[in-house]
Amino acid sequence: MDVKAVLRLRWVQALIVLVVWAVTATALKGVQTQELSTATDSPFTAIMRDAAAAIRGNRAESPLFIYFFNPIRSVITGFIEIFMGVIAVPAPGNVIPMLGWFGTLVLIGFIVYATSTLRMALVSMFLLFLCGMLGMWLLTMETLAMTIGAVVLSLAIALPLGVWAGLNDRVMKVLRPWLDLAQVLPTLVYLAPLALVFLIGIASATIATMIYSIPICIRITALAIKSLRQGPIEAAESAGSTRWQLLTKVQLPMAKTTIILAINQTTLAALSFVVIAALIGAPGLGKPVIEALTIRNVGDGVVAGLAVVLLAVMLDRSTSAAVNRDQSGYAAADAAKVRRRIGLAIFGVLTLIAIYLSRYLLWFAVFPEQLIFGEYVAEAANALSEWITDNLGFLTVTGSEQFTVWVLNPLQDVLANSPWWLTLIAITLLAFILAGRTVGILVFVLLALVMATGLWNDTMLTLAMTLIATGFVVIIGIVLGVWAGRSARADKFLRPLLDAGQTMPAFVYLVPVLALFGPTRFAAIVLGVVYAAPVVIRIVADGIRQVPKESVEAAVSAGSTTLQVITKVQLPVSRRSILLGVNQGLIFVLAVVVIGGFVGAGGLGYLVIVGQSKPELAGKGLAAGIAIVLLGIILDRIAQGRPQKSPQGRH
Amino acid sequence: MKRVGKGAGLVVALATAGLALAACGGGTVNEAASSSAAPAPESSAAPAESSAAPAPADCGSWGVAMHAWVGYTASAQVLSDVAREKLGCDITQTTLDEAGVTYDAMEAGSVDVIIEDWGGGRWQEWVDRGAIVEVGLNGNVGLIGMYVPQWMCDEYPDITDGTKLNEYADLFKTPESGDKGAWLEGPPGYTTIGEKLIEANGLNYKIINTGSEAALIEAFTKGNDNKEAVLGYFYEPQNFLAKVPLCRINFPANDWTDAAKASGLTDYPETPLVKLATVKLMDSGSPFATLVQNFEWTNEDQNQVALDIESGMTPEEAAQKWIDANPDKVAAWLEGTGAS
Repeated sequence: MDVKAVLRLRWVQALIVLVVWAVTATALKGVQTQELSTATDSPFTAIMRDAAAAIRGNRAESPLFIYFFNPIRSVITGFIEIFMGVIAVPAPGNVIPMLGWFGTLVLIGFIVYATSTLRMALVSMFLLFLCGMLGMWLLTMETLAMTIGAVVLSLAIALPLGVWAGLNDRVMKVLRPWLDLAQVLPTLVYLAPLALVFLIGIASATIATMIYSIPICIRITALAIKSLRQGPIEAAESAGSTRWQLLTKVQLPMAKTTIILAINQTTLAALSFVVIAALIGAPGLGKPVIEALTIRNVGDGVVAGLAVVLLAVMLDRSTSAAVNRDQSGYAAADAAKVRRRIGLAIFGVLTLIAIYLSRYLLWFAVFPEQLIFGEYVAEAANALSEWITDNLGFLTVTGSEQFTVWVLNPLQDVLANSPWWLTLIAITLLAFILAGRTVGILVFVLLALVMATGLWNDTMLTLAMTLIATGFVVIIGIVLGVWAGRSARADKFLRPLLDAGQTMPAFVYLVPVLALFGPTRFAAIVLGVVYAAPVVIRIVADGIRQVPKESVEAAVSAGSTTLQVITKVQLPVSRRSILLGVNQGLIFVLAVVVIGGFVGAGGLGYLVIVGQSKPELAGKGLAAGIAIVLLGIILDRIAQGRPQKSPQGRH
Repeated sequence: MKRVGKGAGLVVALATAGLALAACGGGTVNEAASSSAAPAPESSAAPAESSAAPAPADCGSWGVAMHAWVGYTASAQVLSDVAREKLGCDITQTTLDEAGVTYDAMEAGSVDVIIEDWGGGRWQEWVDRGAIVEVGLNGNVGLIGMYVPQWMCDEYPDITDGTKLNEYADLFKTPESGDKGAWLEGPPGYTTIGEKLIEANGLNYKIINTGSEAALIEAFTKGNDNKEAVLGYFYEPQNFLAKVPLCRINFPANDWTDAAKASGLTDYPETPLVKLATVKLMDSGSPFATLVQNFEWTNEDQNQVALDIESGMTPEEAAQKWIDANPDKVAAWLEGTGAS
């Protein structure tokens, strides 16, 4: 091969850029790094600070607030408080909400029964009962009420929009950039602006939850409508149906199963967000989880985290059971229908009795303390975390220090402690090489915008942590993903762990991670890995499973070893899934590296957090939020690589 | 489609019936509660949600902000319990971050009292807008500072002299701080002036933003157990100091008479802690406003309650114990409320 041909290879070009970059950066270490101390404002953050102060000052008088934002706040708060009042929050001076725990439990069981199966109803009731036994009944109900309220509001907006976007490509075109943006937006970012406008409390938390869950619902609904078989629709059209008839009589019923799936995904998204929303005053299980961090009580956080997981399992299983029933329900025999109707009637009467009892008998009104074992769980969790700290602490501390010295610090030297223009040029060149000219130009513009925020150095610190964490995630994701994809038993073993990892709020494992690694950037990296690995493992395993059996068998019969089958057949064939995994891994890691600001990682995450609690630094917090969004788009675009394919929806 | 429609109809019908049932009828658990002593509803899990109270008199319903540190919990719990028991107020406790977040909540009307604020005037913006007023000092004196584990002071006696701190910078080096000493700064919501301190004293230290009090306590505990060098932000009164002895680094004194000289800060001052309340509460004429106005106790009082909480009592039990043991102080707070 001659030199020119080699130089045309993309990875060779990228390598040359990297080497030149590293050498120049080492020579120019500490020059023009744009480092800015926390208390100092850049011109841009000063503008943001003044804007924030102006908004705070105008909340009481400005017509925009009096006639627009404040009414929205009141309406949403009132709406959520209806649910709260029924199942979660006692009226002033009262002991129980409108329904006692037993009435609520049976009522929820009845609703699940009515929408899916008796078995599912019993499972749901059991899971909720466990939440009560953890000592978390009222808090679980607060979270449930918040979730239901937010989901109802989200669906009210997202279902019509999703249907419209499914019917009309032009609408989808308008919506798509927003949906894409919402997908790369780390959740912590929009809390501060919302709290600024809608104040701390239920309204802000609900709106934040909606921003998070609406795009998911729109995407799935639009896809459901769009991918319908055209036959029945054309038949109805030629039979002279109006567009409205077509929609309500043909398209919606046909897409119903997928739309219920959209409801399922919206519910889970809303629930997973309700914990984070506790940072801006959402009531419920998020509160003890976040308090556990401040007062350093792992146990209480774990107990509340468990309740979140139980609630998530309950909501997930009961809504997916509704999907299954919907698919199989039409074929049911008449006798079965009658039996079911009788069952519903009996359950309904039982529910009324339970509600009555729960209002008049203390045992059915207030969850009996004798049944609560949450404190033992908390103690056990505390003991375990203490044991791990005492016995494994020396390992993790030395390990993380070595890693920091040999990998993280050098990378950070190149990215952050070198002249800003060098980093900007190098990243732009890499984007050109790896993702083509369009993305290259886009990345250049976005980097210039990061520079304009004045938070260049902090952004590069965050980037360094994100890249390293993503590296770990991809390695773990491929190893475990291949394992789970090849072996059904491995999949069975990993699945509950992945479920828990995806629903357990990141804040729960903040404290143990902190105990093991101290307030370091490495702790933030570990957080990102724990949070993002399940998603990547899932995507890779899916990809491996979709490799045609014939190709694998052919390779085996040709005498390939297991390793050869994996490296020569399964991995190359599932390349697309792996790339998607890398992309999703990056986005998920970025979302959580921000939370690393709570464990001493500095960077943009710290600025977001400090901006929320110190009014004089509000400008830096808001600007850091913008920088995170810019960084998210940059990473997303580069990771999508050359051919323009849009990532699938979040799982 | 039809069948699910029926199911949904049934659910709605049932829900209506259930709510109707719930709305009518005397003698529910709630009514029983207001006439006799109320059962504590899951107080272990959700102390903030407890609402056992005698029938609210003319005191009204008020919100007390709860902050995470145990000293604050002690003060706020005693205040809440005196208000409930002696004045029949309906008190809701809401857990929030310190400072801006809570001031916003006060402006929004969901919280009325902060019983212990450390922040030297950072609430001014809200006072100017007529949302918040200062209600005087609560009697506690706070001292923030930079601390090291006690063993370091034993080994290096002059380390407490802030001007000598540079000589020890090497001890505090970590991979996080590079070639400078690591300076563990306080959590985001707390009052911190680390950057100014380092600049004013010409220190060779790098700020590591710990992000949470948990991180600081973790670092000091480790530093104490394993004899590791740690320099970090901490504050008194805090009963953590009884468990892990720390000693404070003293920086050259500064002129504190002029608040405008804040830019020249060379050490944290002793801070008399302030009570803040909403204008709404203080203008209401409620006896609770008078109680908040009168509330005052010493660091020693607070530490008693805090220590009881740390050693396993619930905040309610610890507060009750102090209230029972100090009838004179409580009586003094109640002066002018008409209660005794």
